[in-house]
Amino acid sequence: MDACVAVEKEVDKVLCKFTAFQDRSSLLIRGLYSDLENIKKQIDESEASDDCFTLRDSINLLQNQILARTKEIITNLSTEHRDLHSSVSKVGKAIDKNFTADFACVSHENFFDEGKQDMINEVICRHYLREGCLNVAETLIKDTGIDMPEDAKVPFLELNCILTSLKVHDLEPALEWAKKNREKLRAQKSSLEFKLHRLAYITLISEGQHRIKEAIEYARRHLTGFVHQHEKAIQTLLGCLLYVRSGLENSPYADLLSSCQWIEICEVFTRDACALLGLSVESPLAVCINAGCTALPVLLNIKQVMQQQQVHNMWNSKEELPIEIDLGQNYRYHSIFACPILRQQSTESNPPMRLICGHIISRDALNKLTTGNKLKCPYCPVEQSPSDATHIYF
Amino acid sequence: MKFSENISVFNLVFFINLYLFAYNKIKASEISSIEHPTLKVPYEVLNKRFRLAQKSIDRELCHVTNAVSELEKVLISDTKDKNQITSLIGGVMEKLNSFKRKAEDVTQEEIECGRVIKRRVEHLKEHDSTSPAVICQWRKLRLDRLLMEYVLRAGYYNTASELIKGSPIKDLTNLDIFLVANDVEISLKNKDTSKCLAWCHDNKSKLRKHARKHFTGQDQAQMQAVQQCMALLAFPVNTDVSPYKELFSESRWDGLVTQFREENLNLFQISTPSAFSVALQAGLSALKTPHCYRGPLNHNPDCPVCQKNLNELASSLPYAHCSQSRLVCHISGEQLNEHNQPLMLPNGYVYGQKALEQMASENDGFVLCPRSHQTFTLVEAEKY
Ligand SMILES: [Zn+2]
Ligand SMILES: [Zn+2]
Repeated sequence: MDACVAVEKEVDKVLCKFTAFQDRSSLLIRGLYSDLENIKKQIDESEASDDCFTLRDSINLLQNQILARTKEIITNLSTEHRDLHSSVSKVGKAIDKNFTADFACVSHENFFDEGKQDMINEVICRHYLREGCLNVAETLIKDTGIDMPEDAKVPFLELNCILTSLKVHDLEPALEWAKKNREKLRAQKSSLEFKLHRLAYITLISEGQHRIKEAIEYARRHLTGFVHQHEKAIQTLLGCLLYVRSGLENSPYADLLSSCQWIEICEVFTRDACALLGLSVESPLAVCINAGCTALPVLLNIKQVMQQQQVHNMWNSKEELPIEIDLGQNYRYHSIFACPILRQQSTESNPPMRLICGHIISRDALNKLTTGNKLKCPYCPVEQSPSDATHIYF
Repeated sequence: MKFSENISVFNLVFFINLYLFAYNKIKASEISSIEHPTLKVPYEVLNKRFRLAQKSIDRELCHVTNAVSELEKVLISDTKDKNQITSLIGGVMEKLNSFKRKAEDVTQEEIECGRVIKRRVEHLKEHDSTSPAVICQWRKLRLDRLLMEYVLRAGYYNTASELIKGSPIKDLTNLDIFLVANDVEISLKNKDTSKCLAWCHDNKSKLRKHARKHFTGQDQAQMQAVQQCMALLAFPVNTDVSPYKELFSESRWDGLVTQFREENLNLFQISTPSAFSVALQAGLSALKTPHCYRGPLNHNPDCPVCQKNLNELASSLPYAHCSQSRLVCHISGEQLNEHNQPLMLPNGYVYGQKALEQMASENDGFVLCPRSHQTFTLVEAEKY
């Protein structure tokens, strides 16, 4: 944040100085103006009394003091304003010093080749569809002329509709959807439908004693089907009935009323619905850009070192980035095996091999460690034949 | 050329220090490495506003001084007509008033420009928040800002105006300079150079400076093209002067639009390619693994690089570098560690203990390897 603070400091100074200049120039000119007004009045009145002596005095005053001061003050004001430029340019310098202007130096020059533009536009379009910004997506289609199949929009439309309802605590559309997709949801072990009914039931009892009967009826009709998978949860739901009269919010079941229940149901719905439709839970574009923004500073730093060492072409090697970028656990989607001996990532031609002792090294390492027909595990004393090692898949 | 083979090129200690430095400062750097245009463009606007303000003030100064010297001329002369004097004093007062008004106005405009920078700095500082919800929202807004700039650059103005509806990004993106550009572009497409000429005039000092700075040596050919274009702007459309006549052919107009767009970006020091494109590339590369290219069986529906379009876009980019193993359960997508140990089936495929146990509990103790479609009993799965 130092970068922002440095710029802000300079901006504050400039704003301060401009405001001071504004006040000062108004004040000074107002002073001059009233001086002129007075002298004008004096000259006017001196004519009436025909007092030549007073007139000469006034003219002297005007000539030697007021006009001289007028010229001086406004010339100074112009100079003062001009001098503010150094403060203004300090803002620019602070920006240049603390922010990287040439971040594009870590990019691949021909990334945006012909034909790729449409692909990128399609990714953006899908992003806005899944964000529920239908207007943006449609305008983009019109602006770019990309060919988006109509059925690409439908699932997002439905999901967003349901999510919007859930956010205003309307469970109906979600229940409808869960019922329609019951078989598929069951196949993927989703408890979405149960959780929706559960929340409907909680909503009923949270409204007070007069709806208890309705709640029990609801539970009998909709929750009994879930007794097998959710026995404990259902016990809780029935147990809390004992406390409705004395107030659920002061009972051991108070957390049933928490607003987190609604946040959770939105998350569960998004996750299960996306899984059912084969979509990612988060917007792929958002994940990419966030990852990119995390990666950029590291890449910029390494680029600088590479240039100092006269190593170029970070992007030309189609193999690996020159440095590891830790995006955090949430951004790990695939297993990576790095050979502990050679410190290289496994590839198709250099896969991970499991030795009979259970230790895993890459095939290249295995070959390098083999002498004759004997291999000694680098981690334990077990001697073995390299042909006993088996290919392992992560 | 693998990095590990190349490591001798680097001074290892220095490299490790830099690595630590990079990670310690990562949060601040995430802002400083991509937000330069967010602040620099409004700064350039402020700077331009300042120069215009100085001009206005100097013009007013000149008016006042002229009025004063006119009055002084009369004062030193022998004929001292009171009426004339008072009317000239009135003239000075009027010019003073106008000076005052103008100074107030132009300074106010400068202050507004400064406040734009301040608001943006304040927005960037929010990234430092400790609340995950705030950061999440901030990132969402950043994506919108980056996309906004991308669509403006590409000339998708309708999408841009749709994007700003009901969003706070209007004040946080450099919309104005692109809207001016859009205006000029539309007129250029109608073969009207007046707006473009006005733009050139408006920015002539900067354009000259820019030309000096950027068109040196190897850019001679480009310089010539620019000169022609600039000269072209000076001729009326029905010119008979060769070679400018040829320049007015249909295709030239499109070229002019593109050229204008680039010049406008250069003027505000906005880099090509866009921040969006740079971030997208870096992100794709940082996420790209060989698994993303080993067929649908290896895909993870949550992995962006496994998605159709992004997969193709990332194909020419390098893979992420990974010096330490990190394992992810292919079935659940969860991390494999001491809480969810990796288990190997007899066919060599590894999955998480949790996922396999759950599968077995629903399948009378049998597990199905989703990648080889072989069936085993859970007992056969080995820890290693
Ligand atoms: Zn061993
Ligand atoms: Zn992938």
